[in-house]
Amino acid sequence: MSETLPDRSSEAQRLHRELEAVWGNPTGWRALTVVNHSTLGLRFMATGLVFFLLGGVLAMLVRAQLALPDHDFMSPDIYSQVTTMHGTVMMFLFAIPMLEGLAIYLIPKMIGARDLVCPRLTAFGYWCYLFGGIILFASLLLEMAPDSGWFMYTPLSSGEFSPGLGSDFWLLGITFVEISALSAGVELTVSILRTRSPGMALHRMPLFAWYILAMALMIVVGFPPLILGSVLLELERAAGMPFFAVEGGGDPVLWQHLFWLFGHPEVYIIFLPAAGIVSTLIPVFAGRPIVGYGWVVAAILITGFISFGLWVHHMFTVGIPQLAQAFFSAASMLVAVPTAIQVFVWMATLWLGRPRMTLPMLWILGFLVIFVCGGLTGVMLALVPFNWQVHDTHFVVAHLHYVLVGGMLFPLLAGLYYWLPLVSGRLPSERLGRLGFWLTFLGFNLTFLIMHVTGLLGMPRRVYTYDAGLGWEPYNLVSSVGGFMMAAGIATVLLDLALHARFGRPSPRNPWGADTLEWSLAMPPASYNFASLPRVETRHPLWDNPRLGAEIARGEHALAGSTHGRRELIGSEALTGRVRDIIHLPTSSWWPLAAALMLAVVCISLLMRLYPLALAAFMAAGVLLLRWSWENGGHPLAAPLGHDEPVDPPLHSRTQDGPGRWTMGVALLADGAFFLSLLFGWFYLWAVSPRWQMPASSPLSLALLLGAGTLLLVAVGWLERRLRALDAGEDAGLAAALYGIAALGGLHLLLAVVMLWQAGLAPTASAQDAVLLVGLLYVLLHGGLVSLLTVLQARRATLGYVSARLPLEPRVVALLWRYQLGSYWILAAATGLLPRVIGGGP
Amino acid sequence: MTAHTAWRNPGHPVQLLLGLTIWSLWFVALYGGLSIACAVAPPAPGQGALTALNLWLGLFTLATLGALLWLARCCLSAVRREPVRAARFIAAVAAGLHLFAAGGVAFVGLPLVALPPCL
Amino acid sequence: MGVKPAVLLSLLLAGCTGEHSILDPAGPAARDVAWLWWGMLSAFSLVFLGVVGTWLAAFRRREHPERSPSEERRLALRWILGGGILLPGVTILLLLAFGVPAGQRLLPLPLPGGESPRTIEVVGHQWWWEVRYPDEAGEVVTANQLAMPAGEPVDFHVTGGDVIHAFWVPRLGGKIDMLPGRVNRIRLEADDPGVFGAQCAEFCGAQHARMHLHVEAMAPEEFEAWLAARRSPPAQAEGHDVARETFVEHCARCHRVEGLSDGREGPDLSDIGSRATLGAGVMAMEEGAIARWLAEHQRLKPGNHMPAHDQLDTEALEAIGAWLETLRP
Repeated sequence: MSETLPDRSSEAQRLHRELEAVWGNPTGWRALTVVNHSTLGLRFMATGLVFFLLGGVLAMLVRAQLALPDHDFMSPDIYSQVTTMHGTVMMFLFAIPMLEGLAIYLIPKMIGARDLVCPRLTAFGYWCYLFGGIILFASLLLEMAPDSGWFMYTPLSSGEFSPGLGSDFWLLGITFVEISALSAGVELTVSILRTRSPGMALHRMPLFAWYILAMALMIVVGFPPLILGSVLLELERAAGMPFFAVEGGGDPVLWQHLFWLFGHPEVYIIFLPAAGIVSTLIPVFAGRPIVGYGWVVAAILITGFISFGLWVHHMFTVGIPQLAQAFFSAASMLVAVPTAIQVFVWMATLWLGRPRMTLPMLWILGFLVIFVCGGLTGVMLALVPFNWQVHDTHFVVAHLHYVLVGGMLFPLLAGLYYWLPLVSGRLPSERLGRLGFWLTFLGFNLTFLIMHVTGLLGMPRRVYTYDAGLGWEPYNLVSSVGGFMMAAGIATVLLDLALHARFGRPSPRNPWGADTLEWSLAMPPASYNFASLPRVETRHPLWDNPRLGAEIARGEHALAGSTHGRRELIGSEALTGRVRDIIHLPTSSWWPLAAALMLAVVCISLLMRLYPLALAAFMAAGVLLLRWSWENGGHPLAAPLGHDEPVDPPLHSRTQDGPGRWTMGVALLADGAFFLSLLFGWFYLWAVSPRWQMPASSPLSLALLLGAGTLLLVAVGWLERRLRALDAGEDAGLAAALYGIAALGGLHLLLAVVMLWQAGLAPTASAQDAVLLVGLLYVLLHGGLVSLLTVLQARRATLGYVSARLPLEPRVVALLWRYQLGSYWILAAATGLLPRVIGGGP
Repeated sequence: MTAHTAWRNPGHPVQLLLGLTIWSLWFVALYGGLSIACAVAPPAPGQGALTALNLWLGLFTLATLGALLWLARCCLSAVRREPVRAARFIAAVAAGLHLFAAGGVAFVGLPLVALPPCL
Repeated sequence: MGVKPAVLLSLLLAGCTGEHSILDPAGPAARDVAWLWWGMLSAFSLVFLGVVGTWLAAFRRREHPERSPSEERRLALRWILGGGILLPGVTILLLLAFGVPAGQRLLPLPLPGGESPRTIEVVGHQWWWEVRYPDEAGEVVTANQLAMPAGEPVDFHVTGGDVIHAFWVPRLGGKIDMLPGRVNRIRLEADDPGVFGAQCAEFCGAQHARMHLHVEAMAPEEFEAWLAARRSPPAQAEGHDVARETFVEHCARCHRVEGLSDGREGPDLSDIGSRATLGAGVMAMEEGAIARWLAEHQRLKPGNHMPAHDQLDTEALEAIGAWLETLRP
């Protein structure tokens, strides 16, 4: 590492060596064990860039095919694969992971932390992304790529109409990649809430962190519906359960609901971090604080919520009652308000400041032009009658590229140019950078501005060719020329990036005169980020104290150096940023890679229909994950109990509410979203599926249903009592009690299995039984997991890793118990009790 | 500390999510209620917008609107009282969010007066 | 949208017309939407120019008047309230006020007189259209062509035969999805007789691009005649006995010809000789076209579900083609 420390004093050098020994990445083969957020953030972004280029090549293939009428450059089925993969790669393998990578890289540096709060999860997420992406993209090379369009509408994507492996590649690969998004979502949320600098209360947090917090929570709530949809569709394809098939009582429209329940928030999941870049850069280049910080925070939260209420605007032509369409239409228009608030906040900030025109600002201006345009066509599309005309035409294609390229790619490139000196210590070439911008900007508008007209002239999307004489030829040709021009622009940008690494001028410190903490670091930052952790009681730490970087490097702030050889950072209170605990983080580990590899085996064996192997690999992955979780808390490899421990603030594993509990809470939010999606599916099919058949009485035995639930209730009650005792410092007999609770959980599981057995479900014959089966398997899986975790807790209590002094872990597991209790009873009420009360039938 | 750990307190971060959560629940109930009512007992298409279903959904909308406005008022009056700076910020933003949620309820509910429910 | 207004305008003026153009409406529903479009385009272009113009002006400004923090706050608040809340608020209220009534026109509400409009059923298949005219006097079935009366509203009842398709006649009005297991309704009206292009609008597989529907609006009496002519079996042309036999042997399982076969897998061929195109718009109907289609259809429309006819020689295909061309009412 050749970073230039902000301070070259001998004290700074000593601290650097000391911290580097603890935080430094291993090299050689052991580089695969790295868990450091900077390294992994860069890996995410580099991998995302590769997929972006691959997706771009696919786009060029599409434009080449459409350049001329009746062009036979590609056969229809290859064209379908190429368009499907272009959308899929850009959305799932580029946009989301790229922005996650940026957040993973930047967030700890911006909020004054040394790493994210779950470093091994970062690594696990990266491997899932990489393996999932490779599996998905391999399908294209094998000429077996999915070809039903990137939103995979059933029944086109189902077994009957897509008999090949294409859809399976999509469903399994995307689910695999989504594990990565979820892990990033969970840990970013907890990191932002729990590991900010002391004093960095919520209202002093950099706006970028607010944007990422919203993005992370939206991922946590928004991705599970698609994961559920993918699981159900894969079950339909592999096992014949008719969730989406009308003949069996399913409904193809359910897939559309689940897909867009994810798909629309996804657009804002992509847009929010990009807007966060804009909100970070504009004050810096305007040379003044952003006006209306609170307004922006409100706009972020509004966008996050409202975006979950718009999904039906992708389905206005499905035949939903017009009043319902009007609700969604109004909600879609509503989202213009927070967006307009942000646009005018940015505008007022520039107006009241003294803006400098730099390379990053050029991209921001490009963003503004394109995004405002895309936003306005978005409002048009929210209008139902207009939507009926242009839906599924090239007008929509043009609109979505305006929103996604304008709203994500342009700010991303602005951010890339802005933070480049931080990562590399060098400046890019102004001249090449400007050329790249203008080629991209003009090429983009040439392609997509014209494409609005193509759509208005009636050209549907996803057609592999079109007849001459419909008036579409000149527009398509222009779009294709523009597409290649944009590709040349992107190539110029990449060339600039490549050249800058070798020939770029060394950057001065804080080259843009920025206000946020990341610019107080060495360039490139050291593995531990901060040699000491500063107090931050302002929104603009570097404007208020330009010497902060040197102070940090000299160790003038908290937790300077590392005397005990463990990675540590400060845990703070979510609202006020007051210090709460000292968090000890795990170091490099093989477990994330091993677990992800095992999941890759699951994925591939499911693709090859080797179900026993898939099951074995799934179990193995579970064992690996549990083994990983074993090295935590009071374990000798983590932070064993000692005599001279800090008590004020205490170590996180010695508290009742460490970050692990928050992580479990946020993860359960995702789990709950999955469960609610399943319930939505149940009620949706019940209410509107054309041929849903509900038997007169529920197939689930009432006695067993209530019995299993009561056992669960007793187990949770017992656990809660033990927790209260633990709070009072009473841990005698803890291990035995935990074994007892686990045994109750096992008994609950047994009754549920018997109930499932007795029900005699016919999941391939009726959608009702199929949903019931999935619901029961869901509670069985959770029941099994929570019982197993409790057995492990009992064992840990015996070994002394859990006790009155180490009370955190049982509290983490208790959350899962409560969740299981709630979800079991809700499922029992919805599927076992409600049909008994109000009777079956549609 | 205890002053803003209770989630009902206008300065608690949960307030940032409360108003829009109520908006979301109202939205789900509106759409779900409409869908179920249309599946079970659709009113005759000739009735136009003047059906019992529209009326019930409209009353529900007004009730939600009232609740949100009341919450907004609570937060707004707390802005002046709250001693902790961070909590004051939360209360102010939450007041704005409650107001927006109320506006959202009113705006999204508007088509209830014009459109027949199940066509 | 306004980025290069001159370029856009000239392009638009050159090419608003077209068989599929939304901007060349031929019915009340499409006309409403076209007006909505022009209205929104004008208003939003102004918004766009205003926003981008102000941003650019912020960069070009030379003098920066000294403002106290409270003045700055007031100014910012005015911008945020005006631009961030009032502007979008008023815009979307106006849009909703225009949009809801425009949408109501497409609702299959009872007509003022109480009678219900004529119903035409359309079923989407991979990759062709089945069109049915239910009628007490006897149902008429045809494929890939749709005749409708002009000057009166028509209700279309659409559904999907296999996957999801979408029914869309751009010059008449909006589109509606054709879902398997459900019937969706849409009301369209053509002002005057004429021919309109239509194409499947929901991606439905490899040949989504080759799924055209030939829509023709006729004067009502002409339409009645068109319908009446198809209620009776087509006249049997002289000769063609061999072709008929070959057809019954090889094609009848999938294709229906009134009075001869009852296959339902593929398009009904009872009036194929009278259609304007073949293969759902792949080629124009002309002499010898059917035989060519039969011989080369997997090259002309790769992946279509009709098997290749390698077992039949060219002569047999030509005979079948010649006979089918005579099938016209």
